[in-house]
Amino acid sequence: MRLEAVLQSKFGYPAFRPGQKEIIESVLSGRNTVAMLPTGTGKSLCYQLPGYVIEGQVIIISPLLSLMQDQAEQLMMNGEKKVIAFNSFLTSAEKKQALIHLNQYKFIFISPEMLYYESVLSQLKKLRIALFVVDEAHCISQWGYDFRPDYLKLGEVRKIIGNPVTLALTATATSEVKGDIKKSLGILDDCSEFIYSVDRPNIALSVERLDNFREKTERLVELAEILKGPGIIYFSSKKKAEQSAELLRDKGAKRVMAYHGGMDQESRILVQQQFIHGQLDLICATSAFGMGINKDNIRYVIHFHMPLQIESYLQEIGRAGRDGKQSIAIMLYSPGDEQLPIQLAESELPDKAQIDWIMEWVEENPNAIPNIGLFEEQIKQRSGLTDVQWRIFNDFFDRKSKSGLDYRRILQDMKGYYEGRIKLKRDSIEEVYKWIHKKTCRRENILSYFDEGKNASVPSCCDICGLQLGNFTRNTNSDNQESPLYDWKNHLEYLLIPSE
Amino acid sequence: MERSYLKTVIMYCVKELQGQRTIYSILHLLNGKKSSQTIQDAHLFQLTPLFRTFGSLSRDVLDQLAQELVSSCWMAPTDEKHFILTSEGQEELGRSLLECPIPSSLNGWLYHSAGDLFWERITLLIQVISHLNNNNVKYLPIQRKRDVHEWLKYFLRTSGFARNEVGVVLNRELCQCLERLSDINPAVLTLRLTGYNRIGLTAVQTSEQLGISHDYYHHQFLGAIHHILASVKENPAEYPLIDKLVSGTGNEVQLTLSAQKTYTLLKQGLNLDVIAKTRNLKKSTIEDHVVEIALNDSGFNITSYVSEKKQKLILQAANSADSLQLKQIRQMVPESDYFEIRLVMAKLGEGQ
Repeated sequence: MRLEAVLQSKFGYPAFRPGQKEIIESVLSGRNTVAMLPTGTGKSLCYQLPGYVIEGQVIIISPLLSLMQDQAEQLMMNGEKKVIAFNSFLTSAEKKQALIHLNQYKFIFISPEMLYYESVLSQLKKLRIALFVVDEAHCISQWGYDFRPDYLKLGEVRKIIGNPVTLALTATATSEVKGDIKKSLGILDDCSEFIYSVDRPNIALSVERLDNFREKTERLVELAEILKGPGIIYFSSKKKAEQSAELLRDKGAKRVMAYHGGMDQESRILVQQQFIHGQLDLICATSAFGMGINKDNIRYVIHFHMPLQIESYLQEIGRAGRDGKQSIAIMLYSPGDEQLPIQLAESELPDKAQIDWIMEWVEENPNAIPNIGLFEEQIKQRSGLTDVQWRIFNDFFDRKSKSGLDYRRILQDMKGYYEGRIKLKRDSIEEVYKWIHKKTCRRENILSYFDEGKNASVPSCCDICGLQLGNFTRNTNSDNQESPLYDWKNHLEYLLIPSE
Repeated sequence: MERSYLKTVIMYCVKELQGQRTIYSILHLLNGKKSSQTIQDAHLFQLTPLFRTFGSLSRDVLDQLAQELVSSCWMAPTDEKHFILTSEGQEELGRSLLECPIPSSLNGWLYHSAGDLFWERITLLIQVISHLNNNNVKYLPIQRKRDVHEWLKYFLRTSGFARNEVGVVLNRELCQCLERLSDINPAVLTLRLTGYNRIGLTAVQTSEQLGISHDYYHHQFLGAIHHILASVKENPAEYPLIDKLVSGTGNEVQLTLSAQKTYTLLKQGLNLDVIAKTRNLKKSTIEDHVVEIALNDSGFNITSYVSEKKQKLILQAANSADSLQLKQIRQMVPESDYFEIRLVMAKLGEGQ
């Protein structure tokens, strides 16, 4: 079967994007494959298409619930009915039902924590698995910015289910991380590697230094006014995203909305869809926005706050210019901006003193050790852990105590582990900081972070190489179109009555 | 955020409560707290339309708005938690209600639970019809809940309307129903609808487009939904399709779980003492349940708890008393106890 024919008939695309075909051919020939494709170049097609060519199930391990949900929905929207997202969104009745009928699905998305359940594993063993996909595979590496302890189990799971052909996908991974991926999955000596440059030459890179917060805000308003949309502005807080959207609307930009995880689900869906359908020009968002969004013509991405890592920065700016047309990423920086991400990173993990307090509590309550999760309130009260910290603590403790470690040892390990994590995060922030302050080509610096070199010349490369902002501004102010008078009866008729 | 409408609603409640309940009873009412006390108060002071119409109002916000009302001299405290309107406040309330009347169709008590589900169903149905009409199968559903999707499949299979007919009939019924809205612009609903190539607006966007405050918009939106539900309930034959959308949305008697258990035992013929013992609860709690049942179930007969003669006496007292405080009524009919008075008042609230 010609792959192009499947591509056309199942997905409606006339041609593959760079890398897709090679990766698909590799898994179809039965080789374990590690693939690194930059954000926005169609990674998911690399497991979707093989699903239509080979017999058996495609299992996709995906780290984030919202991402998994989006991917499953994309497939369903494409007319695929045999899709299930097996995660904690399902009720226990639904899970049971799904487990019994697991062999009736073609694409099975599973969140890694589900793999702890014996019942899930034993059902998986019974399947004929054509392809085992690890999405966002960098989460497997302790060196990765996005390490997920649950991912460590994947190598073992893979063995249990009979070493199926495996595809590890990621958008950004340093060579260290790539090594970890192969080792953890047990495919170190037995895999093909497809690495495509993280570079997106059609996205110009620019950092603008402003003196203070106020100037940054003023510049933001100005950029939103002149830049050619559609665009996304990223913030690290919901409140700031919300306020900025309001500010921009007050300044006359009508088609701007905020998007963040604190909104109710209906509003989130509506805003996302309005943006995709061109009813909005600009989204003021937190990092909750963008995953799984298929919009080709985003022309700019602005970061109002400093991102936590080069990797996540690339992911976010990678949402621009998927149509291959010229786009721009702008980071607004003012001195001291690095403080906020450092605080965020540190506040996420329990500190030493907190662990000591927990240690005292555990000594007084040794009976609690096997079921530490039941003592959330008491432990939180003693140690002042936040909800996020508690979850991280509980995961760690549970995992280690299941492997039979003594609690003193666990808590000791925990301290070391957290210190390591915090250092890693500080280092990541430091990398971003250095990148902002370097006086050499921004693209080259990002590429060298991933052990890559820069390709010949990129026309609109970065602010250091020289950049005309005028190439990214809009010609006419099309914002002033008066919308026609709204007539509710016409609207209902448009929605409900078939046009002739 | 502009909150003058919410202040109007609070002032309205303060006026109706006549200083007999704390300001926080308003919070419980607007949040829709399912406690016997809140439910009884809603009936006693005829505030049932407002029940659970500001579900996310917080104590802090209420405190702050109350403070502002006091600073404007529209409201005065009688003690720490009790307030009454000043005469300026009375005038202001009259003015505000003239400008932004509370929608007459609003009926939170009857429709708060049915309303949400109805909205989820009708928005998904309209989206599906619109895409069918345009032969488009690739779109993201606007509602993600699995049970709403299941319901829709079931509905399309069993509605008895042909696929190409559903849209036409729904359009006719909705137009007819919404045209009869007296004090609400139907756009509060229709602007939010999603279909082929046209994504609906969020609540905030709609209120901004219509130039009304978020709070006032919220009440108008609920008012429009409640209007549809009431119209269908009153005249199902006129709206056969919407009637099917409403069915099973839980429009029936709403009792707290504990009161439901008590009701079940009552129906088995057990008396209050026995129920209290079996359930290991205080008798006063069981009495609260009985009052709640009386409030909710218009078929519930209270004569086995209060003789008809006593009922008459209590009613007379309630009519002549200048407040609805139970204490005052108790003084006028000393042979009755609070439980009996509350039962009679529950039925009194119903008549109004």
